[in-house]
Amino acid sequence: MRLSELLGAEVVDEQGRGAGRVHDVRLEQDGPIIGGFGASLRLAGLIIGWRALGARFGYERASMMGPLPVKLLVGWVHHDGRYVEWDRVRAIEPGRILITGSADDLPHPSAAS
Amino acid sequence: MAGRVLDAGLDLFDRQLLDKDARLAGKVDDLEFSFPEGGGPPHVTAILAGPGALAGRLGGRLGAWLEGLANRLRDSQERRPARIPFGVVKRIGSCVDLSVAKEELETDRVDAWIGDHVISRIPGARHAPE
Amino acid sequence: MRKVFEIALGILTAIGGFVDIGDIVANTETGARFGMSLAWVVVVGVVGICVFAEMAGRVATVSGRPVFDLVRERLGARVALVNLLASFFITFLTLAAEIGGVALAIELATSVNYLLWIPLVAFLVWFVVWRVKFQVMENVFGLLGLALIVVAVALWRLHPDWGGLIHGATHPAVPKGEGHPTWWYFAIALLGAAMTPYEVFFFSSGAVEDGWTRSDLMVNRANVYIGFPLGGLLSLTLMVMATLFFEPRGIEPGHLSQVALSTALVLGKLGLAVLLVGFFAATFGAALETALSCGYTVAQYFGFQWGKFVRPTEAPRFHLVTLLSIVLGAGLVLSTLDPIKVTEYSIVLSAAALPLTYFPILLVANDPDYMGDKVNSRLGNAIGSLYLALLLVVAVVTIPLMILTKAGS
Repeated sequence: MRLSELLGAEVVDEQGRGAGRVHDVRLEQDGPIIGGFGASLRLAGLIIGWRALGARFGYERASMMGPLPVKLLVGWVHHDGRYVEWDRVRAIEPGRILITGSADDLPHPSAAS
Repeated sequence: MAGRVLDAGLDLFDRQLLDKDARLAGKVDDLEFSFPEGGGPPHVTAILAGPGALAGRLGGRLGAWLEGLANRLRDSQERRPARIPFGVVKRIGSCVDLSVAKEELETDRVDAWIGDHVISRIPGARHAPE
Repeated sequence: MRKVFEIALGILTAIGGFVDIGDIVANTETGARFGMSLAWVVVVGVVGICVFAEMAGRVATVSGRPVFDLVRERLGARVALVNLLASFFITFLTLAAEIGGVALAIELATSVNYLLWIPLVAFLVWFVVWRVKFQVMENVFGLLGLALIVVAVALWRLHPDWGGLIHGATHPAVPKGEGHPTWWYFAIALLGAAMTPYEVFFFSSGAVEDGWTRSDLMVNRANVYIGFPLGGLLSLTLMVMATLFFEPRGIEPGHLSQVALSTALVLGKLGLAVLLVGFFAATFGAALETALSCGYTVAQYFGFQWGKFVRPTEAPRFHLVTLLSIVLGAGLVLSTLDPIKVTEYSIVLSAAALPLTYFPILLVANDPDYMGDKVNSRLGNAIGSLYLALLLVVAVVTIPLMILTKAGS
């Protein structure tokens, strides 16, 4: 499975409601040992929403200060991110990811993990 | 580095790959996930690089065309993009450091081919750097 | 003492290397049609290139990463590809224009048609890129480019009405008989000529080629803040000469020989000879920079090894792209497309594409993880953001204006 296959996929809950598109995935380094790298990167969850744009520009890190207009614009687009833990994923279809439960009880990415 | 948390698109995608001698070895174009044998969630098993991998990122017709081109460039029978097993990754920072030399990577084949058949033919190609 | 010499050399090469065929064409044509009324645009352009070149140089020096490498990292593969296609196309167009410019300069000296010189010029450009040491290349053509100062000498000898010229420059007004859209179109061309994207690609990659470290940051600043404005002044002297010689007579210079004429009339054969050396150096130097930039942008997007600081066999794809760009660029001008027209299009399109290049630079220059304590100051950010806003406006209006004014005719 390639990461590019997951990105952009529509996340759909049990009632068939859309929760948004996958914009990034969270990895945690606690998988089985792989070669010389150490513990491999486990796919911990999916990040849904627009936040990845601002993150890509670097504004995730609090240290990134300016330029002000860009930071403000990014902040405005930023807040609708949501997080799906991997064990809530039921099935992966081309362009769609089905999850258990409802789209409403998905936490914000920074609250998770 | 136990328990370190990364966001794949943010911290890994499009990062510069450096080989063990700090030479430039391409970019992280895509990541390969596999399900481990004992079951459980998928984990990253390889970095995919080269036109075949980039095709997946670009998507649509451009991606499909690029993938076709890439498959023709690769002389192997397999229809898959060049992969760098994740075990040779040494460190992930602002660049991704690898523990092997560039020549040992699958992704180096086109470079090597161009180097041997085109560039080397021009006088002065092996000259010391200018 | 050695540091002083280094800084002096850097400044001189920056001055001599500033002017290229785009500046020659833009300043001369503007002076002929609009007098000094658009001189302020050159000032705006020079300040802009100073701010962003210093930023790009600082980013490359501190982080070791040149512009296009970071463009992909910041914008993602897809958006950066659009950026690459646009930037490469414009740089390639500029390369073709510069090759044409060199051929035209040689034609002026030899009276042999420029088309015949193109294959030789292309070969020479490639040869210098292939074999001549990076620093030698920069220094030789930068210093030779100082020969263009002869235009300032000619201007001085003319004892022009300085008051009138300064008045024209400080009271910008669209001259009678010219339309506002055309005036703005020429403004965009002047801006594009002063703030060419390739300059930033070359400057930041050059910082890595030259192996600059933090101790070189002061040299970087001096080169940019002293060298570039003086180079801009040189561009303006071309505008002044055109204002004095062509505007009163209503001549629209479409040929490099006309540009040379004014200086030749004042200083005679010797002045003309020096001017031709200056033309040759300016255009040849720019041809080298654009050829290398074609290679830099592609290699840095894909992550290939690039640069003259490694053996060519270590950077095969970089050298292949550079070689092909030179060959195809020469092919473009060999197709008898007027090099002056190619130049006009390249500078206007350059202006429109500037946000693509400058936005990622502004972002990375603010990132403490890459820059450490050398992030942008608040003033730097204010000016940078203002320019970005301006450049976005320019980007939006360029194509409509081009269509409206029929490319400034």
